Amino acid sequence: MKFFHRNKEDHFESKFIPIDSGMNYDKPYIMKALVALAIDKTLLSIGKPVLDKVTNELYKKYQCYLPDCYDHPEYLEDILKSVFGSSYHTIVHAITVELQDHMSDKGIEVLIKTIGR
Amino acid sequence: MLIIEQNRSAKPLLACLFIIGLVIIGTTYIDKQIGEITTDLMYVHITGALVILTLILAVRFRLKGSHGKAWALFLGAMTSWFIAETLWTVYELIYHVNPFPSLADVFYIAGYPFMLLFLINYIKPIKKAITRKMLVTAISVSIAMAIPGIYMAYSFDPKVSWFENIIATTYPIADSIIFVPAIIGISLFFRGEVNFTWSLICIGIVCSFLGDTGFQFAQFTETYYTGHPVDVVLLWSYILYAFGVYDHIKIFGKNIERNSNKISR
Repeated sequence: MKFFHRNKEDHFESKFIPIDSGMNYDKPYIMKALVALAIDKTLLSIGKPVLDKVTNELYKKYQCYLPDCYDHPEYLEDILKSVFGSSYHTIVHAITVELQDHMSDKGIEVLIKTIGR
Repeated sequence: MLIIEQNRSAKPLLACLFIIGLVIIGTTYIDKQIGEITTDLMYVHITGALVILTLILAVRFRLKGSHGKAWALFLGAMTSWFIAETLWTVYELIYHVNPFPSLADVFYIAGYPFMLLFLINYIKPIKKAITRKMLVTAISVSIAMAIPGIYMAYSFDPKVSWFENIIATTYPIADSIIFVPAIIGISLFFRGEVNFTWSLICIGIVCSFLGDTGFQFAQFTETYYTGHPVDVVLLWSYILYAFGVYDHIKIFGKNIERNSNKISR
Protein backbone atom coordinates (compact mmCIF):
# COMPACT_ATOMS: atom_id res chain seq x y z
CA MET A 1 0.00 0.00 0.00
CA LYS A 2 1.36 3.40 -0.93
CA PHE A 3 1.14 6.61 1.07
CA PHE A 4 1.54 10.07 -0.35
CA HIS A 5 2.83 13.41 0.80
CA ARG A 6 2.98 16.85 -0.79
CA ASN A 7 5.97 18.33 -2.49
CA LYS A 8 7.43 21.01 -0.17
CA GLU A 9 8.17 23.51 -2.95
CA ASP A 10 4.58 24.21 -4.00
CA HIS A 11 2.38 23.15 -1.16
CA PHE A 12 -1.02 24.22 -2.45
CA GLU A 13 -1.07 23.49 -6.11
CA SER A 14 1.03 20.50 -5.22
CA LYS A 15 1.93 17.25 -6.88
CA PHE A 16 1.76 14.24 -4.65
CA ILE A 17 4.85 12.13 -4.31
CA PRO A 18 4.49 8.45 -3.44
CA ILE A 19 6.39 7.04 -0.50
CA ASP A 20 7.02 3.37 -0.26
CA SER A 21 7.19 2.78 3.49
CA GLY A 22 3.83 1.92 5.05
CA MET A 23 3.88 4.12 8.16
CA ASN A 24 5.77 7.08 6.75
CA TYR A 25 3.97 10.37 6.61
CA ASP A 26 5.03 13.97 6.84
CA LYS A 27 3.84 15.16 10.27
CA PRO A 28 3.96 18.93 9.65
CA TYR A 29 1.59 18.49 6.69
CA ILE A 30 -0.87 16.51 8.77
CA MET A 31 -0.69 19.19 11.45
CA LYS A 32 -1.20 21.93 8.87
CA ALA A 33 -4.28 20.13 7.62
CA LEU A 34 -5.57 19.75 11.20
CA VAL A 35 -5.05 23.45 11.87
CA ALA A 36 -6.85 24.37 8.67
CA LEU A 37 -9.74 22.04 9.57
CA ALA A 38 -10.02 23.46 13.09
CA ILE A 39 -10.14 27.07 11.83
CA ASP A 40 -12.50 26.05 9.04
CA LYS A 41 -14.90 24.27 11.42
CA THR A 42 -14.90 27.11 13.96
CA LEU A 43 -15.57 29.82 11.40
CA LEU A 44 -18.13 27.76 9.47
CA SER A 45 -20.16 27.40 12.66
CA ILE A 46 -20.55 31.19 12.56
CA GLY A 47 -21.27 31.38 8.85
CA LYS A 48 -19.66 30.66 5.50
CA PRO A 49 -19.20 34.35 4.61
CA VAL A 50 -17.23 34.72 7.87
CA LEU A 51 -14.87 31.90 6.83
CA ASP A 52 -14.64 33.42 3.35
CA LYS A 53 -13.80 36.81 4.85
CA VAL A 54 -10.96 35.39 6.98
CA THR A 55 -9.46 33.28 4.17
CA ASN A 56 -9.74 36.20 1.77
CA GLU A 57 -8.06 38.62 4.19
CA LEU A 58 -5.29 36.09 4.86
CA TYR A 59 -4.59 35.86 1.16
CA LYS A 60 -4.93 39.59 0.50
CA LYS A 61 -2.67 40.69 3.34
CA TYR A 62 -0.16 37.84 3.62
CA GLN A 63 -0.64 35.79 0.43
CA CYS A 64 -1.20 32.72 2.54
CA TYR A 65 -3.87 30.07 3.13
CA LEU A 66 -5.36 28.50 6.24
CA PRO A 67 -2.77 25.65 6.48
CA ASP A 68 0.01 28.27 6.42
CA CYS A 69 -1.27 29.60 9.76
CA TYR A 70 0.55 26.62 11.30
CA ASP A 71 3.86 28.26 10.36
CA HIS A 72 2.63 31.86 10.73
CA PRO A 73 0.07 32.01 13.54
CA GLU A 74 0.63 35.77 13.83
CA TYR A 75 -1.15 36.21 10.47
CA LEU A 76 -4.25 34.49 11.78
CA GLU A 77 -4.04 36.46 15.02
CA ASP A 78 -3.99 39.74 13.10
CA ILE A 79 -6.92 38.85 10.81
CA LEU A 80 -9.13 37.47 13.59
CA LYS A 81 -8.47 40.57 15.69
CA SER A 82 -9.35 42.91 12.82
CA VAL A 83 -12.63 41.12 12.07
CA PHE A 84 -13.88 40.19 15.53
CA GLY A 85 -12.35 42.86 17.75
CA SER A 86 -12.58 42.12 21.47
CA SER A 87 -14.49 38.87 20.90
CA TYR A 88 -11.51 37.39 19.06
CA HIS A 89 -10.45 35.47 22.18
CA THR A 90 -13.64 33.38 22.07
CA ILE A 91 -12.88 32.36 18.48
CA VAL A 92 -9.35 31.45 19.58
CA HIS A 93 -10.80 29.42 22.45
CA ALA A 94 -13.02 27.49 20.02
CA ILE A 95 -10.01 26.77 17.76
CA THR A 96 -8.01 25.66 20.83
CA VAL A 97 -10.77 23.22 21.82
CA GLU A 98 -10.67 21.73 18.31
CA LEU A 99 -6.90 21.26 18.53
CA GLN A 100 -6.75 20.10 22.14
CA ASP A 101 -5.86 16.50 21.28
CA HIS A 102 -2.81 17.60 19.32
CA MET A 103 -1.24 19.95 21.81
CA SER A 104 1.78 17.63 22.06
CA ASP A 105 2.87 18.94 18.67
CA LYS A 106 5.32 21.84 19.05
CA GLY A 107 3.90 23.76 16.09
CA ILE A 108 0.32 23.59 17.38
CA GLU A 109 1.49 24.61 20.85
CA VAL A 110 3.23 27.66 19.37
CA LEU A 111 0.12 28.47 17.30
CA ILE A 112 -2.18 28.34 20.32
CA LYS A 113 0.23 30.45 22.39
CA THR A 114 0.63 33.03 19.62
CA ILE A 115 -3.03 33.51 18.78
CA GLY A 116 -4.04 33.33 22.43
CA ARG A 117 -1.70 36.03 23.72
CA MET B 1 -17.64 58.90 17.24
CA LEU B 2 -14.20 57.58 16.39
CA ILE B 3 -15.78 54.43 14.99
CA ILE B 4 -18.08 56.48 12.78
CA GLU B 5 -15.23 58.72 11.59
CA GLN B 6 -13.19 55.70 10.57
CA ASN B 7 -15.90 54.17 8.39
CA ARG B 8 -16.59 55.10 4.77
CA SER B 9 -20.35 54.76 5.25
CA ALA B 10 -20.31 57.46 7.91
CA LYS B 11 -20.71 60.50 5.63
CA PRO B 12 -23.66 59.14 3.59
CA LEU B 13 -25.25 57.99 6.86
CA LEU B 14 -24.99 61.42 8.47
CA ALA B 15 -26.27 63.02 5.24
CA CYS B 16 -29.26 60.63 5.20
CA LEU B 17 -30.11 61.36 8.84
CA PHE B 18 -29.88 65.11 8.21
CA ILE B 19 -31.97 64.99 5.01
CA ILE B 20 -34.71 62.90 6.64
CA GLY B 21 -34.96 65.29 9.58
CA LEU B 22 -34.99 68.30 7.28
CA VAL B 23 -37.61 66.87 4.88
CA ILE B 24 -40.05 65.80 7.63
CA ILE B 25 -39.75 68.94 9.72
CA GLY B 26 -39.77 71.13 6.58
CA THR B 27 -42.83 69.57 4.91
CA THR B 28 -44.77 69.46 8.20
CA TYR B 29 -43.91 73.11 8.81
CA ILE B 30 -45.21 74.06 5.31
CA ASP B 31 -48.36 71.90 5.47
CA LYS B 32 -49.29 69.17 7.97
CA GLN B 33 -51.11 67.19 5.26
CA ILE B 34 -48.02 67.12 3.04
CA GLY B 35 -45.91 66.29 6.09
CA GLU B 36 -48.18 63.34 6.87
CA ILE B 37 -48.00 61.94 3.34
CA THR B 38 -44.22 62.45 3.15
CA THR B 39 -43.61 60.80 6.52
CA ASP B 40 -45.86 57.80 5.85
CA LEU B 41 -44.33 57.20 2.43
CA MET B 42 -40.84 57.53 3.86
CA TYR B 43 -41.61 54.84 6.44
CA VAL B 44 -42.81 52.43 3.76
CA HIS B 45 -39.90 53.09 1.39
CA ILE B 46 -37.16 53.00 4.02
CA THR B 47 -38.43 49.79 5.65
CA GLY B 48 -38.95 48.30 2.17
CA ALA B 49 -35.32 49.08 1.27
CA LEU B 50 -34.25 47.63 4.60
CA VAL B 51 -36.10 44.37 3.85
CA ILE B 52 -34.33 44.12 0.46
CA LEU B 53 -30.89 44.78 2.01
CA THR B 54 -31.52 42.22 4.75
CA LEU B 55 -32.76 39.70 2.18
CA ILE B 56 -29.45 40.07 0.28
CA LEU B 57 -27.51 39.40 3.48
CA ALA B 58 -29.75 36.49 4.58
CA VAL B 59 -29.39 34.86 1.15
CA ARG B 60 -25.62 35.31 1.34
CA PHE B 61 -25.46 33.54 4.70
CA ARG B 62 -27.98 30.88 3.48
CA LEU B 63 -29.34 30.09 6.97
CA LYS B 64 -26.08 28.29 7.75
CA GLY B 65 -24.21 28.86 10.99
CA SER B 66 -25.42 31.00 13.83
CA HIS B 67 -24.99 34.21 11.82
CA GLY B 68 -27.01 32.69 8.99
CA LYS B 69 -29.90 32.08 11.39
CA ALA B 70 -29.38 35.51 12.92
CA TRP B 71 -29.78 37.36 9.62
CA ALA B 72 -32.84 35.27 8.73
CA LEU B 73 -34.38 36.36 12.04
CA PHE B 74 -33.43 39.97 11.37
CA LEU B 75 -35.20 39.60 8.02
CA GLY B 76 -38.27 38.40 9.94
CA ALA B 77 -38.16 41.47 12.18
CA MET B 78 -37.73 43.89 9.30
CA THR B 79 -40.49 42.23 7.25
CA SER B 80 -42.83 42.45 10.22
CA TRP B 81 -42.05 46.15 10.69
CA PHE B 82 -42.39 46.79 6.96
CA ILE B 83 -45.89 45.25 7.03
CA ALA B 84 -46.71 47.32 10.12
CA GLU B 85 -45.56 50.57 8.47
CA THR B 86 -47.51 49.74 5.31
CA LEU B 87 -50.67 49.00 7.33
CA TRP B 88 -50.22 52.24 9.27
CA THR B 89 -49.93 54.19 6.00
CA VAL B 90 -53.00 52.45 4.54
CA TYR B 91 -55.07 53.22 7.67
CA GLU B 92 -53.95 56.82 7.72
CA LEU B 93 -53.77 57.85 4.07
CA ILE B 94 -56.48 55.64 2.53
CA TYR B 95 -59.03 54.93 5.31
CA HIS B 96 -58.32 58.16 7.22
CA VAL B 97 -58.62 56.45 10.63
CA ASN B 98 -56.37 56.63 13.70
CA PRO B 99 -54.05 53.61 13.36
CA PHE B 100 -53.40 53.27 17.12
CA PRO B 101 -54.31 50.68 18.33
CA SER B 102 -54.71 48.57 15.20
CA LEU B 103 -53.49 45.51 13.31
CA ALA B 104 -50.32 47.50 12.61
CA ASP B 105 -49.42 47.22 16.31
CA VAL B 106 -49.61 43.42 16.08
CA PHE B 107 -46.89 43.51 13.42
CA TYR B 108 -44.84 46.14 15.27
CA ILE B 109 -44.85 43.97 18.41
CA ALA B 110 -44.29 40.75 16.42
CA GLY B 111 -41.00 42.19 15.17
CA TYR B 112 -39.48 42.33 18.66
CA PRO B 113 -39.10 38.56 19.34
CA PHE B 114 -37.41 38.23 15.94
CA MET B 115 -35.09 41.11 16.79
CA LEU B 116 -34.26 39.60 20.20
CA LEU B 117 -33.54 36.19 18.65
CA PHE B 118 -31.40 37.86 15.99
CA LEU B 119 -29.29 39.58 18.63
CA ILE B 120 -28.96 36.36 20.69
CA ASN B 121 -27.99 34.29 17.64
CA TYR B 122 -25.47 36.86 16.50
CA ILE B 123 -23.57 36.88 19.78
CA LYS B 124 -24.03 33.11 20.34
CA PRO B 125 -20.63 32.05 18.86
CA ILE B 126 -18.86 34.36 21.29
CA LYS B 127 -21.14 33.86 24.30
CA LYS B 128 -18.22 32.60 26.42
CA ALA B 129 -16.77 36.10 26.32
CA ILE B 130 -19.83 37.52 28.11
CA THR B 131 -18.87 38.29 31.69
CA ARG B 132 -21.29 38.62 34.60
CA LYS B 133 -20.27 42.27 34.99
CA MET B 134 -21.11 42.94 31.33
CA LEU B 135 -24.51 41.28 31.73
CA VAL B 136 -25.36 43.14 34.96
CA THR B 137 -24.34 46.50 33.42
CA ALA B 138 -26.43 45.88 30.30
CA ILE B 139 -29.49 44.82 32.33
CA SER B 140 -29.11 47.82 34.68
CA VAL B 141 -28.86 50.31 31.80
CA SER B 142 -31.83 48.67 30.14
CA ILE B 143 -34.03 48.77 33.27
CA ALA B 144 -33.03 52.39 33.93
CA MET B 145 -34.15 53.24 30.39
CA ALA B 146 -37.37 51.24 30.62
CA ILE B 147 -38.79 52.79 33.80
CA PRO B 148 -39.43 56.35 32.48
CA GLY B 149 -40.61 54.83 29.21
CA ILE B 150 -43.22 52.63 30.88
CA TYR B 151 -44.31 55.48 33.14
CA MET B 152 -44.87 57.78 30.16
CA ALA B 153 -46.54 55.12 28.04
CA TYR B 154 -49.04 54.01 30.69
CA SER B 155 -52.14 56.14 30.90
CA PHE B 156 -54.11 56.52 34.12
CA ASP B 157 -56.96 58.10 32.16
CA PRO B 158 -60.09 55.89 32.71
CA LYS B 159 -61.11 56.54 29.08
CA VAL B 160 -58.05 54.61 27.90
CA SER B 161 -58.80 50.88 27.75
CA TRP B 162 -56.55 48.26 29.40
CA PHE B 163 -55.88 46.86 25.92
CA GLU B 164 -54.55 50.21 24.72
CA ASN B 165 -52.41 50.47 27.85
CA ILE B 166 -51.01 46.97 27.35
CA ILE B 167 -50.03 47.78 23.77
CA ALA B 168 -48.58 51.14 24.77
CA THR B 169 -46.43 49.74 27.59
CA THR B 170 -45.31 46.74 25.53
CA TYR B 171 -43.16 49.02 23.36
CA PRO B 172 -40.78 50.43 26.02
CA ILE B 173 -40.56 46.98 27.68
CA ALA B 174 -39.73 45.24 24.39
CA ASP B 175 -37.28 48.02 23.47
CA SER B 176 -35.45 47.67 26.77
CA ILE B 177 -35.27 43.86 26.42
CA ILE B 178 -33.62 44.03 23.00
CA PHE B 179 -31.30 46.70 24.33
CA VAL B 180 -29.54 44.16 26.63
CA PRO B 181 -27.96 41.96 23.89
CA ALA B 182 -27.28 45.05 21.79
CA ILE B 183 -25.12 46.59 24.53
CA ILE B 184 -23.37 43.25 25.14
CA GLY B 185 -22.75 42.93 21.40
CA ILE B 186 -21.18 46.33 21.08
CA SER B 187 -18.77 45.67 23.95
CA LEU B 188 -17.88 42.23 22.56
CA PHE B 189 -17.10 43.39 19.06
CA PHE B 190 -15.30 46.55 20.21
CA ARG B 191 -12.45 47.51 17.85
CA GLY B 192 -13.37 44.89 15.27
CA GLU B 193 -14.74 45.46 11.75
CA VAL B 194 -18.11 44.11 12.88
CA ASN B 195 -18.19 46.83 15.51
CA PHE B 196 -19.56 49.47 13.12
CA THR B 197 -22.61 47.30 12.37
CA TRP B 198 -23.19 46.73 16.06
CA SER B 199 -22.77 50.39 16.87
CA LEU B 200 -25.39 51.27 14.28
CA ILE B 201 -27.81 48.56 15.42
CA CYS B 202 -27.34 49.61 19.04
CA ILE B 203 -27.83 53.32 18.24
CA GLY B 204 -30.81 52.27 16.09
CA ILE B 205 -32.34 50.45 19.08
CA VAL B 206 -31.78 53.54 21.26
CA CYS B 207 -33.49 55.70 18.61
CA SER B 208 -36.35 53.21 18.38
CA PHE B 209 -36.70 53.25 22.18
CA LEU B 210 -36.66 57.05 22.35
CA GLY B 211 -39.03 57.31 19.40
CA ASP B 212 -41.49 54.80 20.87
CA THR B 213 -41.44 56.53 24.26
CA GLY B 214 -41.91 59.91 22.64
CA PHE B 215 -44.69 58.52 20.46
CA GLN B 216 -46.58 57.04 23.42
CA PHE B 217 -46.17 60.26 25.36
CA ALA B 218 -47.42 62.34 22.42
CA GLN B 219 -50.35 59.94 21.87
CA PHE B 220 -51.58 60.18 25.44
CA THR B 221 -51.11 63.92 25.65
CA GLU B 222 -52.95 64.05 22.30
CA THR B 223 -50.19 66.09 20.70
CA TYR B 224 -49.13 63.46 18.18
CA TYR B 225 -49.49 64.05 14.45
CA THR B 226 -47.73 62.20 11.65
CA GLY B 227 -44.61 64.23 10.92
CA HIS B 228 -44.02 64.88 14.64
CA PRO B 229 -40.29 65.04 15.62
CA VAL B 230 -40.62 61.53 17.16
CA ASP B 231 -41.16 60.25 13.61
CA VAL B 232 -37.76 61.63 12.66
CA VAL B 233 -36.18 59.65 15.53
CA LEU B 234 -38.09 56.48 14.55
CA LEU B 235 -37.06 56.85 10.90
CA TRP B 236 -33.47 57.35 12.03
CA SER B 237 -33.61 53.95 13.71
CA TYR B 238 -34.52 52.29 10.39
CA ILE B 239 -31.80 54.24 8.58
CA LEU B 240 -29.24 53.12 11.18
CA TYR B 241 -30.33 49.48 10.78
CA ALA B 242 -30.12 49.84 6.99
CA PHE B 243 -26.58 51.22 7.11
CA GLY B 244 -25.60 48.50 9.60
CA VAL B 245 -26.86 45.82 7.23
CA TYR B 246 -25.23 47.56 4.24
CA ASP B 247 -21.92 47.67 6.09
CA HIS B 248 -22.23 43.96 6.83
CA ILE B 249 -22.91 43.24 3.17
CA LYS B 250 -19.69 45.11 2.39
CA ILE B 251 -17.66 43.21 5.03
CA PHE B 252 -18.97 39.77 4.09
CA GLY B 253 -19.57 40.67 0.47
CA LYS B 254 -19.98 38.66 -2.71
CA ASN B 255 -16.44 39.50 -3.89
CA ILE B 256 -15.10 37.67 -0.85
CA GLU B 257 -17.00 34.56 -1.81
CA ARG B 258 -15.71 34.74 -5.36
CA ASN B 259 -12.13 35.35 -4.23
CA SER B 260 -12.20 32.57 -1.68
CA ASN B 261 -13.54 30.18 -4.31
CA LYS B 262 -10.57 31.14 -6.45
CA ILE B 263 -8.28 30.54 -3.50
CA SER B 264 -9.71 27.12 -2.77
CA ARG B 265 -9.31 26.17 -6.41
